[in-house]
Parts: sequence; structure tokens; C-alpha cells
Amino acid sequence: MESYPLGLGHDALIPVPMQRRLFLFPVTRCVLTVLALLFHLGCLHSPTRGLPYRDSFASGKAGEWRALGGTWELVNGAMRNDSDERGAKLLTGSARWRDYSIEADVMLLGQDGDAGLIVRSSDEEEGVDSYMGYYAGLRNHDDSLVLGRADHGWMETVKKLDSIEGRIQPFRWYHLTLLAYGCQIVASATSPSQDVLIYSAITDKDCVPSGRAGLRSYASGGVWKNVVIRPATHEDLTAMLGAIPSDEVFAGASSSSASSEISGLDTTASQAEQQPFGPTTNTQSIGSLRLSSFSNTAIATVRGVVILTSPALFVQDSTGGVSVPHPNGPPLKIGDEVEVSGEVHPGNFSSTLEHATARVLWARNPVPAVSVTASQAATGAFDTNFIELEGTLRSKGYGPDNTLIFDFDAGAQAFRAIVNRGRGDVLFNALKLNSLLRLRGICVVDPAYTLNLTPFVLLLRSTDDLKILAGPPWWDTGHLVTIVIGVLTLAVVTIFLYGQAENWRLRAVMEERERLAHEMHDTLAQSFAGIGFQLEAVRNGIPPEMPVTHHQLEVASDLVNHSHEEARRSIAMLRPESLQTGDLITALESCAHRMVEGGAVQVTSTRSGEVRPMPRRFTDTLYRIGQEAIANAVRHAHPTTIAISLEYQKNLVRLLVADDGTGFSQSGNLRGFGLRGMRNRAATISAVLQILSTPSQGTRIRVVASLPPRVTFLSWPQFLWKYLMEHRTNVQSARQ
Amino acid sequence: MAAVRAKAHIYWNAPTREDDAEGQIAIVNQIMGKGYQGLVLAPDQALALITPVRRLLARGVPTVIVGSPLPIPAGGKLSYILNDEETGGRIAAQRVAELLHGRGSVAVLGVNADIAGIMTRARSLELFLAQNYPNIHVVKKMGSFNFLHEQQVAEETLKANPDVTVIVGLMWTSARGAISAIEETPGHRGVKVIAFDPDGALPFEIGAIDSGIVQDTRSMGRLAVDMIDAERHGRAMPALIKLQPTLITRQNVDSPEIRLLTSMEWRATPWVWGTTH
Repeated sequence: MESYPLGLGHDALIPVPMQRRLFLFPVTRCVLTVLALLFHLGCLHSPTRGLPYRDSFASGKAGEWRALGGTWELVNGAMRNDSDERGAKLLTGSARWRDYSIEADVMLLGQDGDAGLIVRSSDEEEGVDSYMGYYAGLRNHDDSLVLGRADHGWMETVKKLDSIEGRIQPFRWYHLTLLAYGCQIVASATSPSQDVLIYSAITDKDCVPSGRAGLRSYASGGVWKNVVIRPATHEDLTAMLGAIPSDEVFAGASSSSASSEISGLDTTASQAEQQPFGPTTNTQSIGSLRLSSFSNTAIATVRGVVILTSPALFVQDSTGGVSVPHPNGPPLKIGDEVEVSGEVHPGNFSSTLEHATARVLWARNPVPAVSVTASQAATGAFDTNFIELEGTLRSKGYGPDNTLIFDFDAGAQAFRAIVNRGRGDVLFNALKLNSLLRLRGICVVDPAYTLNLTPFVLLLRSTDDLKILAGPPWWDTGHLVTIVIGVLTLAVVTIFLYGQAENWRLRAVMEERERLAHEMHDTLAQSFAGIGFQLEAVRNGIPPEMPVTHHQLEVASDLVNHSHEEARRSIAMLRPESLQTGDLITALESCAHRMVEGGAVQVTSTRSGEVRPMPRRFTDTLYRIGQEAIANAVRHAHPTTIAISLEYQKNLVRLLVADDGTGFSQSGNLRGFGLRGMRNRAATISAVLQILSTPSQGTRIRVVASLPPRVTFLSWPQFLWKYLMEHRTNVQSARQ
Repeated sequence: MAAVRAKAHIYWNAPTREDDAEGQIAIVNQIMGKGYQGLVLAPDQALALITPVRRLLARGVPTVIVGSPLPIPAGGKLSYILNDEETGGRIAAQRVAELLHGRGSVAVLGVNADIAGIMTRARSLELFLAQNYPNIHVVKKMGSFNFLHEQQVAEETLKANPDVTVIVGLMWTSARGAISAIEETPGHRGVKVIAFDPDGALPFEIGAIDSGIVQDTRSMGRLAVDMIDAERHGRAMPALIKLQPTLITRQNVDSPEIRLLTSMEWRATPWVWGTTH
């Protein structure tokens, strides 16, 4: 067994191997933490973080994609943009992705545009070519694969299919691959039958080194599915480049004979149906459908612009809107100018065209939303119209058929918004209740949608139709509770620090007193003793026949002795050791004994009640008051006994110093008795000081101090308030 | 009178215009915080009143909708006392058939989707004619609560459809507009008007007026107050009551039943008019 020297600190008693372990453990932990942080940072900045990636469109999830323009929405397991904006983008991934490829099945929805893929995209904005990166797309107005670089401008190479290879057709699937390795960018497109149609490659010497991947369309809608992004190697690049013939265009089989079908879209429509054609002349306004016969099923033809394609087709003209469930005809996209013929079923606020056939006249810009209030929309006047309005979000939830449902209040009205879940998960989670939002969608009063819970429902085209105008007000319950807790915590911390500062100040004062006491003991008291000794020696050396001189020396010796006594008392008062070494009553008793040392004064002390711990400032203050009272008694009252008593009660402590000395008249001049100092000290702990004295009958000095209650979770605010009030009162009384 | 019997205080108010749904919503919202024990509401707009009434019901205020329905299912503290619009439409259709002797053209003016009951009566009228009198052609026009607009619509309709000899005004404003158009156009003197919901007694001294179809608003009010009172005293309220409309013609206008139906005297004790000296 090892033995350790006594009197060493706790640390010194720990065995050396354990000390080493205690040292090594935190060091190891720090090193591991740093390594973990570095690893994490390395992962975050990795050029392949998140790769390989495979889309979850088929399961209805696309929250990781961010739209810039367009009406991106998941439809039947594919990402679809119905808008024919020039340069709608949908982006995902990390800005640090460097060498990788993206491939997807792509379908064009328009007759005169292109759709494709983006690599190394950064610095993106909503706009035509407002990003930095590379894009490859299939363009049908010149039957080509276009590959180029966007830098808030556009440079491109175009590889056209020749007549043997066929044409790039809308509503057919093509497989597109775009690879970026170093400064070489390669794109390829294959037909639905997996025959390679065309390759294109560029070498960009001052290339964009890294960026996100994305989907993009230009002047045409598009549909994308089976998006796969994976890191690219030099072998991948070589394989793609090796497939390019010398003239850089591979003449593959024609794609025109093959076709693919996307669920929900009728791609079997004849080519004639998909071609633009002139409008018929006997159309009527959509608004007039409401006056159609209730009794006889009429056939009507209307012309308008597509404002929504799912869950039903909605078409609008300047007189109103009409819903067309399950229309026959080619796939439509928002913004198409169409002519629809079908059976009219007039409703109260709008009509429905059943068993209808829709034909595309031409593509045009989507109809702008009419800005209305919820009260206006609630009249039904805007039924099946594309509107824009504002509301405060009251609740949100998931609805049937993979939809998101939002309930809004707007003044006296309430309404509901429904949108396909699609890419909405991120927005759904980010939306906070009581936020003010602007919504754009199709106003529908059909009870099939409203369930008669609200006067109307907004069918949103995508979650991009939701814009947050303002978050919830900051004074909601949660924030207020947080603020109150924060303020209270700050107050507690402030009080704690203030207490600590007081303790430090007190300790400094006591140390200074200690130093003064030592100084006085070593200099003043020693000098007085030396002077007394010397005077005694002089007096002994003077002959007795010099009585006057003897008398003068005797007086001088008495003065020196008196001064020596005073010095000793002062030293005793300045020394705080006694308070540190025992409890309060013991400290006062030993202080009194030191003051009366060598005299005939008797000192008694008593203590009653259950001793309980007191804050240091209480103990110190009571000690100083008692010390002053004892000193006053010794100096001025010439008592025979000094009685010190300390009484503890539940919430207070009472100190009494009584002597049987000469006493004094309380109406007389009490200056020099230190009473003002005692009162001031008592005030600092909110104590009551009583001085009871009568000439010839002694003096009683009583201090009664309320002890602070034991602080509990429930009582501390009350305690804090009381403390602050007392502190304020004390400060005011001290100023007076 | 029902309120006097139930010892209840009635606060009555309505917007100054019949089509002022916003004003009616404001009134409903206004009474929401005033501690009223029930609401009797004749909605000016079918959809816009959904939210205020739902909020009122959420506060537990018994509510009786009279006249035309809201698209909220009855039940709980919500009851309906409705005019039977299907019957009203059929009565009008039958009268049209009588006037046209089963053949001709009728203009139906005042089709207004804001009031659900009007759409129901329009549908009923048209379906009844189509099923029973297929030789009667129906011309429909949308309507509003603006008299001058309705007059304009009537004039244009008569001008565009000279074969129209009967007009059905689905709203009193439309009927008034049609009467005015007929009176002011000499060539249309023979056109007859069937008016729904006349505002007071029908002015049969005007030749163009053929008949009117009136709701039993007196019973509606009485029953509504009785139902609120029943709810106050813990008695169950019926979810739906439908009251039959009545056809008023020159032949029956002076009968006691019709006089009671069209009387504007609704106080428990009649006013006594006096003169001052």
C-alpha cells in the first residue's frame, strides 16, 4: 500500500497513474473532438457529399429540390414543369460537387422549346440564363441537342439530328446524360429504344469548377423522371468521349418509331391532334355557360387558357372559368390556349364541361392572377378563376391523395388551400402558424373541395404559389415565456455576480484590515512598549529627591500605557481571524476577551435557538456591530460585566450586547460612539438597531435581522423582488 | 309577437342594401360579442356567410337560418326554416304553362347564385317546364338587386326575344324591372309578370302583374324565435322546417289567409295612429 504525506491537498493524494489517466482523458477527448470536427468539416466540403443521388419522385418526395421559376410539381411519379417560361430551373445538391454526371428521362411538353439538365450550377437567380454552369437540352424547333455554358449570358454548341435520325418530338421520352469532368463537358441523348441519338462535347478552358445539378426548360414545359447523379471518373469521361465518332455526331436509329407513355398523359393522341390548328368559330364565352339549360344537356365549345391541369383541367377566359374533368385530347400545360367542347352542366357560380375534348390552339403565357380579398372570393364571383390573395396561416396538415392542406383566416373569412405534396415538405415544415402568406391558385367553391367548411378553396398549382410575407408576430406565447425566462435568468445571474463582487470586496477590506493590524502591532504597539520601558528605566535612574520629575515621568508612563491599550484594542478590532475561526458568538466573545485583557471586566456569552447558516455579509455585519458595541462599552462605560447573547429564530437572528457601565443620556451628544456607523451597517442587511441606555444603568445594544428565506423554485422570484426593494431602500437611506 | 310571448328582447338589423353581404357579415360579427342567446339570419349571400356562422356556432350561439339555406349541414345548434323553393319553382312553372297554354316563350330574370334558394327555384321551374311542357322555351338572365340594371336586362330580353309573353322575376327587383320595362314600352303591353318575393302587397292595379309567389315570412319569424326559445330552455330544435310558398292572384288576394300572409303588421299590439291638436 502506498502512503502519502498528510496535510497535502486533495489532488496530492491521487495516485500517480490515476493522475496520468485524469490528464490523458480530457486531452484525448479534446483531440478526438477536434478530429471529429475536422472530419465533419471535411465531409461538408467534400466534392462528392450526397452522391450518388437517385430521385424519389416515384414516392412523391422532392423536398431537396429548389425551384427558380416555373410550376414544378410531381405528377404521376415524375417532376413536371407546365410553364413555358424561358429558363425555369429546379436545382439540388451541393455547390461543391465537382466531377459528376446527371442523367434523366426527359419529355418535352411544348412545340417550340427545349428541356434538359444542368451541371455545376451556382450563383442562380430566377431569370433566363441567370446562373453559372452548364446545360444540355433537347430542342424541338431545330431537332438538336444543345450544350452550352450559362454565365448570366449564354454560349452554346448545337448538334442537329439529320433526317435519318428523326425529330425531337414533344410528349416522348428521351434519356439525357450530362457529364462534367475537369473542364470537359459531355452530353448525350438516347431514344426511347435506347438507341443513341446524338453526342456533344465541349472543353471549356476557364471552366466552372463546381456546382449544383438541376433540371431546366426553356420556352416549353417538360417532365423529368429517373434522375440519377453520380460521381464521374476519368474512365466515365473516356467512355462517353470514345463513343463520339470523328464528326462528333453519332448517327443512331431514328426515335420516331418508338414512344413511351407517362401515366395520366395521353401520348397516343394522333400527331394531328397535337399540332396547332385554327380555332372554330362557334365558341361561346365561359361566363355564358351558367345560363345553359338545367333541363337539357347542351353541348358547348369555349376557348380559354389552361390555368390548372390537376386534379381537374381548369380553363379561364375573360368572363370566368370552367372546370373540365378528365378531358380527352393531348396533354395540356398551364398557359396553353385551348378550345374545349363538352356537355354543359351549369352550376351556381360556374359550370362544368363533362365528356369534353380539349384541343391546343397555341401556347401562351399563363394568365396572371387577379388580386382579390378573401371577402370577394367568398362571394363565389371568382369561382374557377385564377386569383391571388393574402391570409394568415392558422393550421396545416396532410390531406388525402398526398396533398398538403393549409387553413387561413383573412378578416371575417376563412379559407383553405390545397396543394400536391410534391416538393412541399421543406416549405411545409418551414411555415409557421400565424404567418402572413400570399397565395395564388384556382378559387373553387365546389363542396367536393370545400366540404362546406369554408366558402372557397384555393387549389395551388405548386408550393411555389405560396409566398411568406411576414412571419408570426414576435409576441406570441412561446416568445413571451422565453423572454420572461431570459430576463429572470439574467436577473439571477446578475444578483449572483453582484453577490460574488460583494464577497470579493469584503474579503479585500478584511485583508486590508489584517494588514493594518499587523502593521500597528509590529510598529505602533512595539514602539509604545519600548517607550514605556525606556521611561521606566529613566524613572528608576532619577533620585527620589526629584519628585516633580518622578511625577512627570509617571504621567508620561500612564499616557504611554493608555496609548498602548488603545493600540491593542484597535488591533483587536481590525483582526478578523476570530470570525473566521469560529461561529459568531464565539468570535464576539473572544474579541471581547481580547479587549478587556488584563482588566477586571467579566465577559459572558449565551446562544439560544437552532443555529442556522447565514450569508457572509450578515455574519460580518453583526460581528462588526457587536465589536463596536463591546469597544464602546470598554472605552466609555467602565463596566464590570459585558453580556453578549445571540438568539436564532425561524426567520431572524437577534444580537444583544449589554453592559452595566455608566450608560449615557440618549438626548446628549453621542458623537464618537460609533452609533451612526452601527446604524449604517445594520441598514445594509435591513436589520433594526436599538440602543437602550440610561445614565448609571448601563447600555443595551440590540440588532434584529431578518434572515433570508430558504430559496425554492417557487419562492425565489418573491425573494428577488424583496431583495431589490430592500436594496433600493438601503441605497436611499445611505444617501441621506 | 313570438318574442313577446317568449319574453325575449329582439335586436333587429339588416344592411341597407340587399346584396351587401359584407354589411351583413359585419352585423353578425358585431352581435357575436354582445351575449345574445340566439341568431335568426336570412343570409344575403350563400358562401360568404359560412365563416361567420361557423364562428358563431363554435361559440355555442343557437342559430336559425330562414328563407334561403347556407351550405352548412343542419344539426347541433344550427337549424333551418326554409322556403320550399322546389315547390315555388313548380308553382311558377304551372302558372307560366297556364298563361302560355302550354306553348310559347318565357323569360326567367333574376338568376342570382348569391342566394341559393333562387337557384333552386330556377332549376325547379325549368325542369318542371321541360318535363311537362316541352313546347315552352325558357330564356334565362342573370340578376342583381339593382332595379335599373334589372329594367335594362328586361328591356334587352324583350327586344331580343319578341316571342316572350311571360316573364318570371325570380327576385322582386327583377320583377319590378320587368314591370317597368313593360309599362314603358307600348309594344310589350301584353307581357305578363309572375313575381317572386314581392315587397309587401302586390300592386295588382298594374296590368302587367299576373301573380306573385310569396314566402310565409311571418311563420318563419315566429318559428325561428320559438326555436331559439326552445333551445334556451333545453328543448331540442328541429333541424329543418320547410314552409310552402303561396301563389297570389287577383282572385285570392283579398282572402283572409292572403291578407294575413302579406300583412306588414307584426307588432303584438297594433300601433294607434292619432292626431295632435
